[in-house]
Amino acid sequence: MTDPQVALLMLGLFIVMVFLGFPIAFTLMAMGIGFGYYAYFDERRQWRAFNRLEEDAGWWDSASTYAEGLLNNRIFDLFINQTYTVMSNEVLTAVPLFLFMGYIVERANIVDRLFSTLNIASKNVPGSMGVAALITCALFATATGIVGAVVTLMGLLALPAMLKARYDKSFASGIICAGGTLGILIPPSIMLIVYAAASNVSIVRLYAAALLPGFTLVGLYLVYVTGRSILQPSAAPRPSEDEVPDVPGIKLLFMILTSFLPLAFLILAVLGSILFGLATPTEAASIGALGGIVLAIAYRAMKWQRLRESVYLTARTTAMVCWLFVGSYTFSSVFSYLGGEHVISEFVQGLDMSPIMFLLMAQVIIFLLGWPLEWSEIIIIFVPIFLPLLPLFEIDPLFFGILVALNLQTSFLTPPMAMSAYYLKGIAPPEVKLTQIFAGCMPFLICVFISMALMYIFPNIVFYLPNLMYGS
Amino acid sequence: MIKFIRFADALSAWFGKAFAWLIILMAAGTGYEVFVRYVLNSPTAWALDVSFILYGTLFMMAGAYTLSRGGHVRGDFLYRLWQPKNQAKIDLVLYFLFFFPGVSAMIVSGWKYAERSWRYGEVSVNSPAGVPVFQFKTVIVVAGVLLFIQGIAQVMRCIHCMRTNEWLEAEEDVFETEDLLMAQHAEAEKDAHP
Repeated sequence: MTDPQVALLMLGLFIVMVFLGFPIAFTLMAMGIGFGYYAYFDERRQWRAFNRLEEDAGWWDSASTYAEGLLNNRIFDLFINQTYTVMSNEVLTAVPLFLFMGYIVERANIVDRLFSTLNIASKNVPGSMGVAALITCALFATATGIVGAVVTLMGLLALPAMLKARYDKSFASGIICAGGTLGILIPPSIMLIVYAAASNVSIVRLYAAALLPGFTLVGLYLVYVTGRSILQPSAAPRPSEDEVPDVPGIKLLFMILTSFLPLAFLILAVLGSILFGLATPTEAASIGALGGIVLAIAYRAMKWQRLRESVYLTARTTAMVCWLFVGSYTFSSVFSYLGGEHVISEFVQGLDMSPIMFLLMAQVIIFLLGWPLEWSEIIIIFVPIFLPLLPLFEIDPLFFGILVALNLQTSFLTPPMAMSAYYLKGIAPPEVKLTQIFAGCMPFLICVFISMALMYIFPNIVFYLPNLMYGS
Repeated sequence: MIKFIRFADALSAWFGKAFAWLIILMAAGTGYEVFVRYVLNSPTAWALDVSFILYGTLFMMAGAYTLSRGGHVRGDFLYRLWQPKNQAKIDLVLYFLFFFPGVSAMIVSGWKYAERSWRYGEVSVNSPAGVPVFQFKTVIVVAGVLLFIQGIAQVMRCIHCMRTNEWLEAEEDVFETEDLLMAQHAEAEKDAHP
């Protein structure tokens, strides 16, 4: 077997192994080392010390020298070097800080204030409760970036309120699932940091590039929610007086000042300092975390137990993401050493595709991967397979990254592993069926596809901000 | 056997949690750097090195803790449909096939790597501050050893599960919001419709 064939075998075997459900970080690590042992095998290295042994060396000396020879393979140095590369990665240092900020903000008792304020503020808009729920989700998701928390908290808060106001069940569920998922897209999102670490695109440019597409998607969602409410008023009836009370303007203003504004300010401060080059993402994230603590104290939500939870969960989630990187760095460097990248790019070139066909194919594959897998696995393991192909078709990795980020919104909404839908089902009243939730998500999926098409037709939505701020 | 599982869980959790608190240091340290840069106009030379040392230590030391609590991501859309005892059989094989070789390599070659670094008291090349990194490289070995111990416990978990068809969960004191809320909801449902 030639080396590139071994590389393909390695990839194929890995995909089979993923389906066995073993923690992927360790699967990657072991397969990287195993195939790497083959790839870097050097007979001279193995026998060098053994051949130098005295004729009459004892069995222990011979055995241990032989064993040492077996372990004298460059893959082990490569593995440790790659591990250290992940450990000293400047981009990934922002991950635990953003996670920590998210866990703190999530526990700051902020979401109910936000929802009731927006509910009153948007009272005269068609589908007012849906709009309020969507905006609450978007804002809260942007600040926390933790999809499950947003969906369950909002599911307990906004879903019963909407159902009580006789909203259509699947319409209401779709709003919460789709809104809660926005946190992985709108900056400062952790997914984009992970993409930056996987692709070497500047994280600052990625954040700038993701802003307008993020707003476009939220805009499309809002158009759908208000549009459907106008066309089909029975799906989103106007709430009655006792469901959403009228409050005098000055009180509403005060409510906005104490709920909407602090959170919006925190997000803008973090994002602004990154985009205007005042701070690195890591520094901005630490400011965000400190700001989150201040916010939690101001809302009298800062308890010892909550701080402990935030600290421990941050460590666990960071470990989950970064150990995946440890595995995949080793795996992918062995894969490309064996010539796997090359053989794939030759194969793709042989297909004689146009750039648009390639882009479509890549996005369809990523969409399909999103059915069974989660975003972290897709970005860290599968997206890097596409990255070396981008220059062949003159596609900017920045542009590709934004399309992927939009696309992965769907991975939370499509069965069989629609995490958002399962979280919502987990806390929804029993009369809300899983199929109704899926049905409610479908229109939002279409919004995602429309937004991707818009990016392709008007690439300036992606490039305008980064080029404006940092030149092209 | 159960005793050893509990011991390993507690050990991993102790290390994972102790080093988890580095996040506070990290936020404060990096915040301090921003403060002295803009307010006092005298940036530190060590902030960058310190932030990645804290980050790297944090996630490496949490590896075993995360493993014990089932936090490492799995491609589990088939796995979750199987009987626990079948899950355990597959896991058991894969722990020996994948986990122990990888983690052993991490300990052995990590040791050589760290030893070399200790010998000449290696410092970071990123800044003139000369922040030492040899202790940081030792983290690889420690993380590997913790994972190895936890791995033995996981193997015992698999054996236990093959006998009882039920996973022995680690003791848990912190929960993701969504898990907590879903558990509460399930509990309330059960009470409402006994």
